Amino acid sequence: MTEFKSISKMKEIMTEYYIEAKTTKVKPIAWLTSGAPVDFVNAMDIIPIYPENYAAMCAASHQSVELMEIAEREGFSQDICAYARTDFGADISQGGPIQGLPKPDMLIASTNICKTVTKWYQVIARKYNVPLFVVDTPFLHDGMTNELVDYTVKQFKDLEKFLADFTKRPFDDDRLEQIIILGLEASTWWKKMLSLGKTIPSPFNSLDTFIHLAPIVVLRGTQKCVDYYKMLYEEVAELAEKKIGSIPDEKYRVLWDNLPIWFKMRRNSAFFQEKKCALVAATYSNSWGGLDAFELDTDDPYRGLAQSYLGAYINIGFEDRIRYLSKLIKEFSLTGFIMHSNRSCKPYSVGMYRLQEEVTKLTGKPGVVIEADQNDPRVYSEAQVETRLEAFIESMESIN
Amino acid sequence: MIEHFHSIISNVSSTISKYETELKKPVIGVMPAYFPMELIDAAGGYPVQLWGNNLPIQRSDTYLQSYCCSVARSVLELEMKGGANMVKAYAFTSICDTLINLREIYRRLFQKPTFELSIPSTQTEQARRNYLKNIIDTVTKGLESVTGKKITQNSLKDASAIYARSRELQRKLYELRQTKPGVIKNYDFYAVLKAGFFLPRSIYNDMLEGLIRQLEKLPAPSAKRPKILMSGMVFDPIEAYKIFDELEIHIVDDDFANGWRTASKTAFNYKDIYEGVTQYLFQPAPCCCVYNPDLDRHEYLIKKVKTSGAQGVIFWYIKFCEPDAFDRPQLIGRLKKEGIPSVTIEIELSMTNFDPVKTRINAFCEMLEG
Ligand code: SF4
Ligand code: SF4
Repeated sequence: MTEFKSISKMKEIMTEYYIEAKTTKVKPIAWLTSGAPVDFVNAMDIIPIYPENYAAMCAASHQSVELMEIAEREGFSQDICAYARTDFGADISQGGPIQGLPKPDMLIASTNICKTVTKWYQVIARKYNVPLFVVDTPFLHDGMTNELVDYTVKQFKDLEKFLADFTKRPFDDDRLEQIIILGLEASTWWKKMLSLGKTIPSPFNSLDTFIHLAPIVVLRGTQKCVDYYKMLYEEVAELAEKKIGSIPDEKYRVLWDNLPIWFKMRRNSAFFQEKKCALVAATYSNSWGGLDAFELDTDDPYRGLAQSYLGAYINIGFEDRIRYLSKLIKEFSLTGFIMHSNRSCKPYSVGMYRLQEEVTKLTGKPGVVIEADQNDPRVYSEAQVETRLEAFIESMESIN
Repeated sequence: MIEHFHSIISNVSSTISKYETELKKPVIGVMPAYFPMELIDAAGGYPVQLWGNNLPIQRSDTYLQSYCCSVARSVLELEMKGGANMVKAYAFTSICDTLINLREIYRRLFQKPTFELSIPSTQTEQARRNYLKNIIDTVTKGLESVTGKKITQNSLKDASAIYARSRELQRKLYELRQTKPGVIKNYDFYAVLKAGFFLPRSIYNDMLEGLIRQLEKLPAPSAKRPKILMSGMVFDPIEAYKIFDELEIHIVDDDFANGWRTASKTAFNYKDIYEGVTQYLFQPAPCCCVYNPDLDRHEYLIKKVKTSGAQGVIFWYIKFCEPDAFDRPQLIGRLKKEGIPSVTIEIELSMTNFDPVKTRINAFCEMLEG
C-alpha cells in the first residue's frame, strides 16, 4: 500500500469523530447503513454511526473472528453476512478497537446495498427498542426510472418528518442544502482522486482507496471531509504529475470488484506488488458519489440525491453492471479484472460468474473470480486464492 | 384418494404438460414467494411453482455459488437441465437478495421473459402506494404480453374466487390436522399442499374437497408423541415428513412461507387490484422476508404455538437463507422466555440422507416427553 501523508490527517479526523460519538451527552446517535441518506441526519445534528465501518475496522485489526464467535454462540448463523456477525459480537461484548459503538437512539437503513440490512437493523431495533426508519431504494433491474426517483424522494420527505418528530424540532432545510453541497464537493474531490488511477503508472492502489474511503462514508456533508479529500487529491495529483507509481514497474493494471478482504490487506498488497500488478479501479470505492454508473440530476437536489443513492453499483442490474465494468476497463487502460465472490455479500456476488464471462467476452480482457469473504478468515483459503490469482496474472498481457 | 396427490408430485412434468394441452394456456413459472397467482390466472396463464425440487446440483453451480440457498440452486438447475421447458415466462418477487440477483441471471442466460413484483420495504404509505401501483402495472402488462389476454375485473373476480376457495380448503385441512392430530399423515399433508403448486386450481380444489370430506368422517386417532409446530421458509423436502410419521410425531401447525403464511391469505380484492396486491403481500401472517412493522413475528408465533397446542417448535432452516437466519436467535430467546422449547434443523433440498435429521428430531421429542 502507498503511504500517503494524508493518512495522518485521516486518522486524526476519524479519531475525533469516534471520540465525539463515544462521549457525547447531548447529541442523539443514529446507526446507519453505508448507503443510507445521512445528509438528513446531519442536518438535524444527530451523530451518524456506521456499524459496517466498525465491522471493517474490527477485521482489519484482526479482531473479527473472536467477535463473530461471540455472535455465533448467541445463535447467529455463520451463514449471515460477516459484517452483521462482527457487529453483533462487538455489541454483545462491547469489543473491537473502540470497545463497542455508542448505543443507538434511532436506526436508518437503506436497501440500496442489500435487503440484508433491513434484517440486521430489525435485530438491533428489537434489542434496543429504538425506532427504525427504512428508506427503500429498490434494485434497478431496468435502470434509473422516474418512478423509482419519485418513490425515493417521497421517503426522504417522510424521513424529514420522522427526524423532526424525533428531535422535536422543525426539519432544517437550509442546513440540508448546505450539507448536500458539502457532500457533493467532497465526492467531487474523491472522484477526481479516483480518476487519477487512469495515469500510467497509477499513483495509488485500490487497496489504498479502501482505507481512504472511510471519511466519505462517515463524515460526508462536513467541511472536514471536503478539506480532507482536497488534500488527498492534491497529494496524489502531484505523484501522478511526477509519474510516481504506487507499484514500481507497474506491469498489469486491474480492477477489483466487491469489498476488500479486510483481514488480508497487507498480505494482498505485498502479493500484488510482487507480481507488479496494480489495482487501479474498484467498484466499491467508486460508490459514495465517486464514479457513478449514472448521470445525476443537478437541478433538483432531492432528485439528484435520490439518484445517487439508488444508483449505487451494487443496486443496479446486470446489463448496467456489464456496461459500467467495460467502461472502466477501457478508461483505466486495464489489462484484466478481479471479482471477489464474497460469501458474506450476496447482492454483490450472486451472478458474478456470469458477469465475468460477459465482460471478458465484451472487452477481450481476462477476468478471474476468487472465493473469499470480507470479514471471515475462517472461510478463506489463502493458498487457493493466490494460486488462482497467479494463474490469472500470467494470463494477462502486460501494458508494455 | 391421497395417492392421487402423491402421484401428481411424483409426475410433475407430465402433469403440467397434460393440463397445458388441455387448457391451452401458457405456463408461467412462479418463484418464491407471495406472487399472487390470481394475477396470472386472470391474465389467462397457468401458474406453476417449480421451486422446492430436490435435484442434485450439477449445472447450476456454474452460476450460483455454494453459499446460495438450495431453493435458488435447485430451481436454476431445473431450468438449465431442460426440466422446465414448458415454462414460457417467470414471475419473481423481491423477497431476498439471492432472488433479486437470480432474476438477473435468468435474464442473461435464458430468453424467457421475467417479471418482478418488487415488494416495497417502507412504512411510508403514500410512497408505497404510488410505487406499487407502478409495479403492478408493469407486471400485469408483462403477463398480458405473454398470454395475449387482458386482465379484466371479471377475469380477476373469477381468479380471486378460485384461489380464495383453494386457500379456504387448505385452511380447513390445517384445522382438521390440528383438531384431530394424526388424522392425516404429515407426509400426506405436505404432499397435498405441494400438489397445489402444479395443478390447475379448480381441479385441485375438487380433489381437496373430496379429501376433506373423507377426513371429516374419520375419528381422531390417539396422539402418542409430542405435538409440534414447524417454522421456516419452505416445507420441502417432502421426503423428510416420512421421518415424522415414522416417529409418530404430529405436526399440528406451521409457519412456512409456502404453508400457512400463504394459506392464511384472504380472498384477493379484485375490485381494486392495488388493494388486492397490498393486502396479499402484507397480511395476515408476518414473514421474515416481508418488511412490515405492523406485524410482530414474536407475538404471532407465540400465539400460534399456544392455540395449536404444540409443545415445541422446529425451525426448519434452509441453509444460507439469511432473512430466516437473522430472525431466529431473538425468536428462540423469546420462545424460551415463554417456556416453549425449540430446535433448529438445517436443511438442504438436495439432501438424500435424512438419518441425522431423524436423530435430532427424535432427541428433541424425547426431551419434550421429559
Ligand atoms: S457486506 Fe453485503 S450483505 Fe453485508 S451489509 Fe454490506 S452490502 Fe449487505
Ligand atoms: S430460501 Fe431464503 S435465501 Fe433462498 S430464495 Fe428463499 S428467501 Fe431467498
